[in-house]
Amino acid sequence: MTMTAETATATAVAAFDQVTKSYGNVRAVDGLTLALHPGETVALLGPNGAGKSTTLDLLLGLKHADSGSVAVFGTSPREAIVAGRVGAMLQSGGLMEEVTVAELVRLACDLHPKRFKVDDVLARAGISQIADRKVNKLSGGQAQRVRFALATAGDSDLIVLDEPTTGMDVSARQAFWATMREQADQGRTVLFATHYLEEADAIADRVLVLHRGRLLADGTAAEIKAKAGARSVRFDLEGPIEESALRGLPFLTAIDVSGQTVRIQSSDADATVHALYGLGVYPRNLEVAGLGLEQAFVAITEAEEAKQS
Amino acid sequence: MNSLIKLELARALRNRKFLFFSVLYPSILFLIIAGKADSTTRVDGTGLTLPTYMMVSMASFGALTAVLMGNSERIAKERESGWVRQLRLTSLPGRGYVLAKTASAAVVSLPSIVVVFAVAATVKHVRLDPWQWLALTGSIWAGSLVFAALGVAIGYLATGDAVRPITMIVYFGLSMLGGLWMPATTFPQWLQNIAKWLPTHAYAALGQAIEQSQAPHTKDIAILVVFFALFAGGAAWLYRKDTLKA
Repeated sequence: MTMTAETATATAVAAFDQVTKSYGNVRAVDGLTLALHPGETVALLGPNGAGKSTTLDLLLGLKHADSGSVAVFGTSPREAIVAGRVGAMLQSGGLMEEVTVAELVRLACDLHPKRFKVDDVLARAGISQIADRKVNKLSGGQAQRVRFALATAGDSDLIVLDEPTTGMDVSARQAFWATMREQADQGRTVLFATHYLEEADAIADRVLVLHRGRLLADGTAAEIKAKAGARSVRFDLEGPIEESALRGLPFLTAIDVSGQTVRIQSSDADATVHALYGLGVYPRNLEVAGLGLEQAFVAITEAEEAKQS
Repeated sequence: MNSLIKLELARALRNRKFLFFSVLYPSILFLIIAGKADSTTRVDGTGLTLPTYMMVSMASFGALTAVLMGNSERIAKERESGWVRQLRLTSLPGRGYVLAKTASAAVVSLPSIVVVFAVAATVKHVRLDPWQWLALTGSIWAGSLVFAALGVAIGYLATGDAVRPITMIVYFGLSMLGGLWMPATTFPQWLQNIAKWLPTHAYAALGQAIEQSQAPHTKDIAILVVFFALFAGGAAWLYRKDTLKA
């Protein structure tokens, strides 16, 4: 058994083992264990404050774990970067100002042990036309593409992207996804953080859902979508409310009764509502709405916690 | 790292404001201060004429401007913008960023020294032996490292908003009190007592000793060495703290 665990870590692109990182009283990453495998395109999905950026910072050696270990290609993150095996784009990655796009990309190529040609990097990131523009005169979307060029300046085995499509409109976002997919098609492992389920669905083979620094779910985008597909049902009842009967409704994951108003979360709203009428009550002002991703995550967490207790 | 030095340098040479203040401004100030002085008046206690004396002060001032301004503000701003973090995701060694900044500032500080010398020699007819010109250039250039280290320390200490006022206070304070703008001998005695312990005073004194055909005073060298150790140590400590926090 030990043998297999060790082999898995040795072949993993990146491995987190019981990693914890706190800021003051806040646990940004809480006992995280995961492994990335060669050639995967993995989305790290979670609401703001879920610990996505901290996880990526730990992976890239920008931060150090309070406990647990982080290995990238079997070495420390820094060693992997120095060996040119990792290319990364940070969410708030500032750029050197007052130089041109081409000059900055040339610097990134020069600094990469397995560098590509500057022109090729510019073309692949779709920024050849703005190569002579000053970096401080770029739009948000253009700056993101320049950051992407910096992350892909050489032949890295792992590409890490922290919310790469922030600040892009829908068409720019889709064009960018195509660029990302190209990286994956060349056999690279791609890990990107996002808070759009849609984005994870469109690109990733595997989705890791992070919530409050814990790994909440790990599966294909379809599995996650099914899990996060929870809906909220809200209605008013007249007369005394029998909460215990309501609790017995199928697919119910949470219930809240205040006054005459009942709020339910359900993983299958159609079935829940159908069963509600079966109870012989007459719900008024019935509303069924999809949960936002954040609420869906909370719903999953509460369901998990309920299962454990 | 060479590619980063090259790019930093290209950027500095494109920045007209920076070039004006570090390369031309000291020469202009020299002409204003030394302009009316005849070449017989001697600066108290030095035996040097005012133009000769001020030439070293202004060359030192120019070098100080280039290395202090070049380092502090850029580092603080780029730390805040995240560029320093982005560089940490490359194979560039940790100290490479600071070294590249300092190296490119040192390249800009050389012309600021030479231009003051050229103006002093042609306009105010300052005459020295060839070895003195060379020794002056070398000592003022090398001495500027003390202030490059100070610039790095301020860059890692201050936030992006605070860095300019802090740099200005340090810059004007050190320039004025150290006697770079007017000979410290014109200060009241109590101020002279403070001035002679400042790194800028010791810095200019190196050059003035060479002009007097003397070896630099041990005390001045000791002051510069102590300040360099202090600034470089502080910069290294702040750098490490920043790296752990980022």
